[in-house]
Amino acid sequence: MPSWDQRQPIYQQLADLLAAKLLDGEPPEGQAMPSVRALAALYLLNPLTVNRALQALGDAGLLEHRRGLGLYVTAGARERLKATERRRFLEAEWPRLRERLRRLDIGAEQLNWEDAR
Amino acid sequence: MTGTTTTAAPLVEAIGLSVRYGAKRAVDDVSFVIPKGRVVGLLGHNGAGKTTLMRALVGLARPEGTLRVLGLDPRRERVALLRSACYIPDVAILPRWARVQDLITLMGGMHPKFSAERARQLLRRTSVGLSDRVKTLSKGMVVQAHLALVAAIDARLMILDEPTLGLDVLSRKAFYEMLIDEWCDGERSVLISTHQVEEIESLLSDVLMLNEGKLVLSISLEDIDTRFVALSHDAAVAEQMAAAHPLLRYRTGPGPGGSAAIFDGAPPEHVQALGQRMRPSLVDLFVALTRKPELDRTQF
Repeated sequence: MPSWDQRQPIYQQLADLLAAKLLDGEPPEGQAMPSVRALAALYLLNPLTVNRALQALGDAGLLEHRRGLGLYVTAGARERLKATERRRFLEAEWPRLRERLRRLDIGAEQLNWEDAR
Repeated sequence: MTGTTTTAAPLVEAIGLSVRYGAKRAVDDVSFVIPKGRVVGLLGHNGAGKTTLMRALVGLARPEGTLRVLGLDPRRERVALLRSACYIPDVAILPRWARVQDLITLMGGMHPKFSAERARQLLRRTSVGLSDRVKTLSKGMVVQAHLALVAAIDARLMILDEPTLGLDVLSRKAFYEMLIDEWCDGERSVLISTHQVEEIESLLSDVLMLNEGKLVLSISLEDIDTRFVALSHDAAVAEQMAAAHPLLRYRTGPGPGGSAAIFDGAPPEHVQALGQRMRPSLVDLFVALTRKPELDRTQF
């Protein structure tokens, strides 16, 4: 059974999870999102919770409603997500990482930039 | 996004409902409504009155007070009620000698709103075969078959008393998947009693909590997040937390230091500043609201 932590509302955790999938191109831009019911059954969530998560992604401009068809991934959704993630990294994560690198006396030249995978 | 759910007549309406067994009130002055399109969890310890309440909803127990289920009086209009409400009791069994196909034929003859085609379609989700005999099926498969048979009734309300008791985790998951995917359509409602509170929390839209026959909580999961405040905090501020009279204090996870407190309503700001706000979990709330009154609520 999927587990949800207690730090955030469940719908927010689902929205984050779905956003991470969108960033990986799943589903790709211009394609339909899975139905509320399919997502509810997959993650064992109440459909109302799924609705709230999709609503949040819609508000963020990542999904659009097509009349009679349902929710689709907007064009440019990945770029928008990437921009948000980039900002979050630079503003929140990087200062902490930089602080740690300084404390450990690690310079840029000591970091391996080649082997990404 | 979900449209108008508040204006429609509720599927269940109970006002001042009690069920007496001799001198004992198994259900004691309980009032609640279940609107359409909800998944309602009925929580309570053994003997709290869950089964009695469910039996009253389908006309098997004689209640005092007002009770309307699908607009009907369950005692006097039971036959009409059972056309549109289905019920799997905690003691439900399927005849061991029967083949699944026989059960479909039987249901088709018994129930005007049963669809044999729908039952076969639902059974295809499972590993249960039409020619299997009940006695050869595992416990998990029997429950799946039972749900498939009942979900093939075009009803508006499903009442499930401890449906997943004794099932392993995969069978429980399959059961709830079928329920959400095949039954819940935004119009129908389900009332489920269970002890597996943690597991079912995310499935629910609302919760009813019974303690010794009394309804101690009737709330939507969405409102839980706003009404109750859970604060995780360091052991160092434990005394200040306790002084603010939380419903419950408890440890969070293994290891030292992690503690939390649940408050009904937001505590004063200087108390909130001592901890980190968390989502109050249903299990913690359940423990907080249903512990025996002789126990000190603030004890670990």
